Amino acid sequence: MKERIRNFTKRKEFGIILIILVLSIGLTFMSNAFLTIDNILDFLRSNSVIGIMALGMLPVLISGGIDLSVSSTIALSAVVIGNFMLKFPGSNPVLVILVAMLSGAVVGLLNGLIITKFKIPPIVATLGTMTIILGAVLLYTGGMWISGLPAWWSSFGNFRLGSFATAAGGTTGVSTQVILFVIGCVITSFILKYSLVGRGIYAVGGSESSAIRVGYNVNRITVFIYVFCGMMTGLAAAAHISIVGQVDPNTYTGYELDVISTVVLGGASTMGGVGTVFGTVLGVVLMAILKNGLILAKVPTYWQKVVMGLVILFAVSIDVINRKREQAKLVRVDVEE
Amino acid sequence: MNFIKEMKSKHSSEFTLLLIFIGVFIVMGILSPDKFLTSNNIKTMAFQMPEFGLMSLAMMIAVLTGGINLSITTGAALSSIVAAFILSSEFGKSSPGLSVVVALAACMLVSVLTGVVNGTVIAYVGVAPMLVTLGTKTLFEGLGLNFTKGGSISGFPEVYSEIGNGTFLGIPIPLLLYVAVVIVSYFLFERSAWGTEVYMVGCNETATKFSGINTKKTLMLVYIYSGIMAGLASVLISSRYNSAKTDYGSSYMMQAVSAVVLGGTSIAGGHGTVAGTVIAVAIIQVISTGLNIWGVNRYIINIITGGILIAVLALRYITKVMEDRKKIKMRSAQSAAK
Repeated sequence: MKERIRNFTKRKEFGIILIILVLSIGLTFMSNAFLTIDNILDFLRSNSVIGIMALGMLPVLISGGIDLSVSSTIALSAVVIGNFMLKFPGSNPVLVILVAMLSGAVVGLLNGLIITKFKIPPIVATLGTMTIILGAVLLYTGGMWISGLPAWWSSFGNFRLGSFATAAGGTTGVSTQVILFVIGCVITSFILKYSLVGRGIYAVGGSESSAIRVGYNVNRITVFIYVFCGMMTGLAAAAHISIVGQVDPNTYTGYELDVISTVVLGGASTMGGVGTVFGTVLGVVLMAILKNGLILAKVPTYWQKVVMGLVILFAVSIDVINRKREQAKLVRVDVEE
Repeated sequence: MNFIKEMKSKHSSEFTLLLIFIGVFIVMGILSPDKFLTSNNIKTMAFQMPEFGLMSLAMMIAVLTGGINLSITTGAALSSIVAAFILSSEFGKSSPGLSVVVALAACMLVSVLTGVVNGTVIAYVGVAPMLVTLGTKTLFEGLGLNFTKGGSISGFPEVYSEIGNGTFLGIPIPLLLYVAVVIVSYFLFERSAWGTEVYMVGCNETATKFSGINTKKTLMLVYIYSGIMAGLASVLISSRYNSAKTDYGSSYMMQAVSAVVLGGTSIAGGHGTVAGTVIAVAIIQVISTGLNIWGVNRYIINIITGGILIAVLALRYITKVMEDRKKIKMRSAQSAAK
């Protein structure tokens, strides 16, 4: 047991949990609105979109790649399902989600094929597709909003599971978007932990040439990763549209950097080979608490970006400093023996 | 003749780029001679290209070391905002000439500082450049927003707008500045000891370190240089718009990456020439301006730019594979003959 605790404290996730705890305690003292069930459920709901996208980005980063096109993909999926619902007002949420994921998967397939067939570095390839897809989406919509979505869609978006009493006297529950996020977490962690392709993703991220020698089909794994990322981004589009109730293709610019910083905060490395779903969830929660806390602590809007930037810098630096210290320790042990 | 041949074999990718540039220029000229080939349009391009080119050079030096600098546009905006404060203050109204000098100095100082922040965390702490500049991008944007409160700062002395809009002997001042910076960059990157270190760090940082080079110092200077280039671009932007705001020039970030990669710089670091980047910048500028005056939708221009980026890289890969195959065939034929 002692061994286990010691191992846990050494893990990356432990540091994030500590930051979350310190922040939460501080915020609870600062504002009595923070530690209420409806506030927590609320900020989880609004951050579930970035959370679902982060789950898609996680395998990409683990494999040592990157996907900048997610911000365009989510815009595309949102426009696709918006039009789908206007054309087929008689369909249902499940079908809409499937359409969203399918449209995302098509983009992912495109990314995967460009990266594997032409050996273009992921950062450049997805930069290209990001520009192309956003251009196409804005060209098609003319930058116009899509509204007037069916009533069953908004009732799907406002659905709450269970009922908890809130401080204000009403009741609240776990929202659809949080449920989608949880389902996404289960699927992603199953793929990463227990499937062959999941182990392959870590292998490719650790060392691509070794993965090839072991017998993994690296190209097929890479295509899978980007398709999966696209699917998750599609799901995130459905979640976002179900919150805001209309489609604005312009809102998603800059999402890719938010998503990447969330995953990195959760302990994944852009060098590849490292990262867990648990860590990513913690990253999402940390980001959510930060954003929520800054508002509750009445920090002016303009300072919020400064704080976010500093937190990202701090989090990525701490990780590297820790790793260096550990390496230094290893060297010392070698010398003593 | 021999000289041309030698140049061609040495700089084959730059030659191809130059041919593409000439081709694109001719095509645009043929398609709309009455609009594209006017002195007015050429002048417009000469005013627009320098800021894009400077941003691309800022990106290029980071990419040469195998890094990336996502904070160029917000760092640039921050330095121009600080300059704008001085320019629009009482001091700017009472003594316009002196205030421009002070503002430019402050702008350069801030851009050096943004470079120092990036460089410290990247070189001395050792965090991946992408993550650091992702953080500093948000940080600089936040600081800029704090100063401007989300709006824009305007009301500069008239002298200041001369920098971005004026001409000297009929040549636009931004273009003169750009040409000077390109020449300096060429000598710094490709003809100086520091430049060689930069390329070496991009190829193999560990090996460079063990060959006795202070890679930390090299990297630090790289990001300071990147900051200065972005700062110079911000001077041109704020002078052309006659105001400063956090999101001015924000579209240049991704465009700069495109130009750098299109220009033949390897995203993994270690390879790339200033000439390549400069020609790539000109190509993108000609295409976007050409299509723009042709009345093509802005979104289609974006699609085409993205398409070109992927197409050029795909083409480069395919030609490399074909060349390799040819070599293998030749070698196997040789060994068969033996």
